[in-house]
Amino acid sequence: MTNDIHYLPQGREIEIFQGAANNRLPVLIKGPTGCGKTRFVEYMAAELGRPLHTIACHDDLTASDLVGRHLIGADGTYWQDGPLTRAVREGGICYLDEVVEARKDTTVVLHPLSDHRRVLPIERTGEMIEAHPDFMLVISYNPGYQNLIKGLKPSTRQRFVAMNFEYPSPEREVVIVCQESGIDKQTAEQLVSLGNDLRRLKDHDLEEAASTRLLIYAAMMIQSGITKREACTACLAEPLTDEAETLVAIQRLIQAYF
Amino acid sequence: MEEFVGEIWHKIITRQAQTDFTQAKAEFVDLQGQLATYFRALGGDPGKNLEGVGPRAFNTKRRLVQRIAGTHRHYPVCWQDDRGLRLPLNLAYFPDNGLNEALYFWQTALAAQLPKMRHWFADNQRATLALLKKRPGLAKGYRQLVEATLKTRPDLNMLEDAEKERELAIQQAMLEPGSVEQLPLANGDPLPVPIWVYPAPLYALSPESDDDLDDMGDGSRAEKELNSGRKQAQRFDDAKQTDGLLVFKLECLFTWAEQVDLDRCQEESLDDDASTADDLDIITLSRKRRAGASKLKFDLDLPSAQNDDLPVGDGIRLPEWDYRKQSFIKDYCLLQPMLADDALPAPIPDYLAHQARVLKNRFSLLRPQRTWQRRQPFGDEIDLDAWLELKTQPQRHEEQQDLYRSRNNPQRDMACLLLSDLSMSTDAGLGANGGSEQRVIDVIRDSMVLFAEALASTGDPFAIYGFSSVKNKQVRYQLLKNFAEPYGDEARGRLLAVKPGFYTRMGAAIRQSTEVLKLQKSQQRLLLILSDGKPNDIDRYEGRYGIEDTRRAVIEAKQQGLQPFCVTIDERGNDYLPYLFGEQCYAVVNDLARLPVLLPKLYLNLTGING
Repeated sequence: MTNDIHYLPQGREIEIFQGAANNRLPVLIKGPTGCGKTRFVEYMAAELGRPLHTIACHDDLTASDLVGRHLIGADGTYWQDGPLTRAVREGGICYLDEVVEARKDTTVVLHPLSDHRRVLPIERTGEMIEAHPDFMLVISYNPGYQNLIKGLKPSTRQRFVAMNFEYPSPEREVVIVCQESGIDKQTAEQLVSLGNDLRRLKDHDLEEAASTRLLIYAAMMIQSGITKREACTACLAEPLTDEAETLVAIQRLIQAYF
Repeated sequence: MEEFVGEIWHKIITRQAQTDFTQAKAEFVDLQGQLATYFRALGGDPGKNLEGVGPRAFNTKRRLVQRIAGTHRHYPVCWQDDRGLRLPLNLAYFPDNGLNEALYFWQTALAAQLPKMRHWFADNQRATLALLKKRPGLAKGYRQLVEATLKTRPDLNMLEDAEKERELAIQQAMLEPGSVEQLPLANGDPLPVPIWVYPAPLYALSPESDDDLDDMGDGSRAEKELNSGRKQAQRFDDAKQTDGLLVFKLECLFTWAEQVDLDRCQEESLDDDASTADDLDIITLSRKRRAGASKLKFDLDLPSAQNDDLPVGDGIRLPEWDYRKQSFIKDYCLLQPMLADDALPAPIPDYLAHQARVLKNRFSLLRPQRTWQRRQPFGDEIDLDAWLELKTQPQRHEEQQDLYRSRNNPQRDMACLLLSDLSMSTDAGLGANGGSEQRVIDVIRDSMVLFAEALASTGDPFAIYGFSSVKNKQVRYQLLKNFAEPYGDEARGRLLAVKPGFYTRMGAAIRQSTEVLKLQKSQQRLLLILSDGKPNDIDRYEGRYGIEDTRRAVIEAKQQGLQPFCVTIDERGNDYLPYLFGEQCYAVVNDLARLPVLLPKLYLNLTGING
């Protein structure tokens, strides 16, 4: 089977995910922003040949946004399935991105789905849906923020097969940047090296490190004809910090490469 | 008259001998922040501090005029050791200010590339080569620096054979790093190469002092401050001198002299001492930690009742955890709430006004929004969802007709108590700031003020307390702002008037804070602790005892449903804080100067308001 989505494995994550899928177990993916979590899930959905329902969680996401609600049609009211319910009925991977952002009540909906019961009770209609054999629940979050309130409850985490993602090793990252942007290898190496320098600043000067995604953005900008320095400033300096002092230092760092 | 003529002569002759370009001077203090970030980004150890150092002595060949003027015995060079990277306080090698600044950045980059040095000549070339290969953008700047440096090198025709050969080798090594392996021998030191990193000064460290008190708390901290001064320090084993009956002799603590085995009486004036220190190349420190600690014990008696803050009530008795017995010692600590009644109401100080305004604006946006409440029996608008549900589920009881929605005025349910360490160790200067006058306590004070300004504009209830202690009988608990009092000039006046003193009996302070915060009815109760080091006191409350008691107090707070979180400025906080507070419940702030800005930010992150 051909797979159009590019993904370069960092370790054994493909095998682990496949194992979880075969055993109908839910998966939890941890990792910093922009390290390839979403890309990995897309790749695996294509690989397994299952439809992917992605839900980007935000702090106003309620359980009924996931499960569904009543709507008014021409012939009165009818029930509209939410993305989660649809995935449960039809089979497929339901991917909840940044799940800690969602309201607390949403995680409770996931509990009966994520253990051996594999059912989704819908309170409003009184329905109890058995999950389709191909249904798979995948959630992701970024454990980096030191946040007392927005952690994932241990009782929720307990129900998942968990994988930890990091930024790819420099050699792999060069390949990824080249492939995604079509830039030449030498520039990609420079960019990745610069990115790794910036990652050392995490927790000291920057709240979050330069992600693989940002490196790819910078490479794309360079590819489209913007000078390297400008592209790096726009993609790697400004998005990461607002502090003038740190910005100047990063500028110096960029000048050390290009 | 003699002196006057001498001074003029000195001025003329030093001007004649001068080779620096003072008009193009670059100052370390201006660049320090950028250099620190740059250093860390290039792979320098993030634990290392960047510090300004005075020039270092070299025995170079001097011109006649330089010899007459007595200059050119010291040159500003960059070096590093385990504690930090030392950069010259100012650089004026080149006639162009930009070049001098570039030299700072180059030195920093090279030092990050070269954490350990074995051979000055070979390692510098190797590191330069590696750096240029890895970061090609530096090559152009390096070329410029080399060209400018070559112009300042001695005239080859003026040099003797061996020296000429050595100078040639150095110049060649700069032009093409990695091309020369051996540095030819010659008399004296070669003229220092500004674009290279120098090894840490080679003064053999004499044996460690034999009293191995593993944790002296404030004592060891004070010692660290001394070491990190801008002079090269030399350890001297003074065990012999201070043995015997007179264990503690003031004169033996440290004298401003190159060490000779005789006692000198101490100078009275501190200014004189300071200028003496300038003239010395090496300052010899004795290392007798026990003596230092006993000195502290004498120093810190309680202030007289007249000068002290007003004690409130008779004090509160609190238990303390003894880990050896694994049980509480009941009523062991006497905690005394203190109120600074002489602190005058104060407006926000000018230097904080700008930051305070920015924070206020930002935080006032984060006031809880008015939201719609659904399924109300009456309200401003019809709740369509509820109506829809009624229509789709006709079997529901008719009387359940809460079909309206109304706006409410919500409160975010969050109370925060900030507990600040006001022990004597916060009186130490800010070492990292290149010898600035600012002390740790100043930063803590500014942080508290800005934190209060920010929280006052969110409307979240908050309180601020400070603590210090002298043994178990007096744990001083400073009331700075309690939950009930609105934040205003009075509270700000008390915050601005905080004074450091005494020790850190953290457990008792946390227990009392728990009691205070427990009474708040909010759903989320955050106990934020601002600290600068391990818990310690002059009795047995140090080392493991203090840690265990504090840990116990933190666990109690968690059991009460509070969320303790510690913010520390102790670089070694990573060693013990996970044990005290738990893995995710502390933060180490490396750059102290940014604490006032970071603290409100941290609050946002912790409380999840930031989204």
